[in-house]
Amino acid sequence: MKRLTALLAILVVAGSGAWWFATRIPASPFDGAAPAAATPLERGEYVARLGDCVACHSTEHGAPFAGGLPMGTPLGTIFATNITPDRETGIGGYTLSQFDNAVRRGIGADGRRLYPAMPYPSYARMSDEDVRALYDYFQRHVQPVRQANQASHIPWPLNMRWPLAFWNLVFAPTRPYQAAPQRDAAWNRGAYLVEGAGHCGSCHTPRGLAMQEVALDSSDPRYLSGALLDGWYAPSLRGDPNSGLGRWSEEEIFAYLKRGRNRHSVVFGSMMEAFNNSTQFMTDDDLRGIARYLKSLPGDPARDGAPWQYDPATRTALASPATLAASPGARGYMARCGTCHGADGQGRGEWIPPLAGASSLLAPDAASAINITLNGAGRVVAGGVADAYRMPSLRNQINDREVAEILSFIRTAWGNRGGAVTEEQVAKLRSQTNPASSDVIVLQMR
Amino acid sequence: MDLIVNGVRHTVALEAEMPLLWAIRDELGLTGTKYGCGLAQCGACTVLVDGIAVRSCITPVESVAGQQITTIEAIGEDAVGRRVVEAWVAHQVPQCGYCQSGQVMAATSLLKQIAQPSEAEVAAAMTNLCRCGTYNAIAAAMRQAAQG
Repeated sequence: MKRLTALLAILVVAGSGAWWFATRIPASPFDGAAPAAATPLERGEYVARLGDCVACHSTEHGAPFAGGLPMGTPLGTIFATNITPDRETGIGGYTLSQFDNAVRRGIGADGRRLYPAMPYPSYARMSDEDVRALYDYFQRHVQPVRQANQASHIPWPLNMRWPLAFWNLVFAPTRPYQAAPQRDAAWNRGAYLVEGAGHCGSCHTPRGLAMQEVALDSSDPRYLSGALLDGWYAPSLRGDPNSGLGRWSEEEIFAYLKRGRNRHSVVFGSMMEAFNNSTQFMTDDDLRGIARYLKSLPGDPARDGAPWQYDPATRTALASPATLAASPGARGYMARCGTCHGADGQGRGEWIPPLAGASSLLAPDAASAINITLNGAGRVVAGGVADAYRMPSLRNQINDREVAEILSFIRTAWGNRGGAVTEEQVAKLRSQTNPASSDVIVLQMR
Repeated sequence: MDLIVNGVRHTVALEAEMPLLWAIRDELGLTGTKYGCGLAQCGACTVLVDGIAVRSCITPVESVAGQQITTIEAIGEDAVGRRVVEAWVAHQVPQCGYCQSGQVMAATSLLKQIAQPSEAEVAAAMTNLCRCGTYNAIAAAMRQAAQG
């Protein structure tokens, strides 16, 4: 009996401790701090650009930062929240400490844990100064919008938030970025932006069983090694020559983030949004820092294979009527794609991207190739000017079999070796990207 | 950059990414080449670059600097082109005519590459759209032009 009482007592104490831990509001460096002098608008807005807050906290036709964007999770759909300074429905009542806890620790003002769809495991790396500037921007420069947050579609008991405190204990860092003394200032600035506010890993790092990013910084070779998300394959950002940035120079990475294009590629899919809303607004120094940092991440030949080599035989073959007669994929390519991308697969300058050697056609996952063929590219807006050349949507012009034939050809032409695409893969993505379908892809965790 | 259009060299100062179609129509004033869809889908803007049909609406002007560009205005100076135009006239192909300069350029390009194309080769190469539906007349004119 005594033993049972003791056991019960231990359980009660442990349980209360766990409950206290799971609901506590941790200390913030801003606790009790006197309200600082207002930050200039540009400074706070810049941090909001770095973090690309608008991408998730707005809907296409809604007010900026008013929330409402649905995001799919394995448990059910959740909705981005209103982060305008409206006092009732937004974050107008947040103190700097409460804002800091939400951004860097994933804890709401009431102690509720946020879903890690909010990239606080990355934002945790942000500096105190950047968090302060961001707070000032949202409180003083964003228009308040009264728009109530939508309840998530996750059913009870899975919608309880306290277990996330233990998820955080395992997966979320707690310290801001610590500069690596052996690296130069540009590299450290790049690391700070990529691992922190830029949260590049949200899309480009594979996720584990608990939906956590398997790595959060450059010390792990799986960091930014490529991942499938939202029907797009976010390529490796490491030195992999095929699926990553191995063949890109620092200057080419800089150009891609600054102007949305270089001789290897043009931004498309989710990266088009990141470019439109975020990277093009970064300073040249910051973008050069990012380029230097990314180029320092080694590739993995075991994962990536031997470097791609251009094979001119495809060009010759495409000029032969016999090849075209024998290959429906080659025929389809010349009828639908060749006008712009060329029989040589080289595109046109940096305006129409090459298909020869493109990471989406070398990676094993064909999602990006299928998606852009069916749905076309979105509008790339650089410096307020929309792009002159855009991949059209072919959804209503070619059927699943034809898409599969054409992409199987493209993914094995000019030395590409992404491999064949099946009709079933195309049918699945066609359905998932059809807004009228019942199983349409909504934004995943990012 | 230098643009060689219908045998004449023009030195022009243009944005590198400007569509060739814009350069031809707005800068050089050659308006026989038409704007249709702007997405390389319809073929109304077809011109020849070194003898090959190219859809000028999606061709950055930078990429064809120094190459031989031929537009509908000069197609009669080309032996194959003249034959195509004569066949077009003989069969009274055009109705509204908007797509026809592109159709003639596509037909000329095909016959320059394959003098006697099969029906399948014609179908594969002549992907230009015509909303008047002159396809049968185009096919008949193609057969005549191919016989030389």
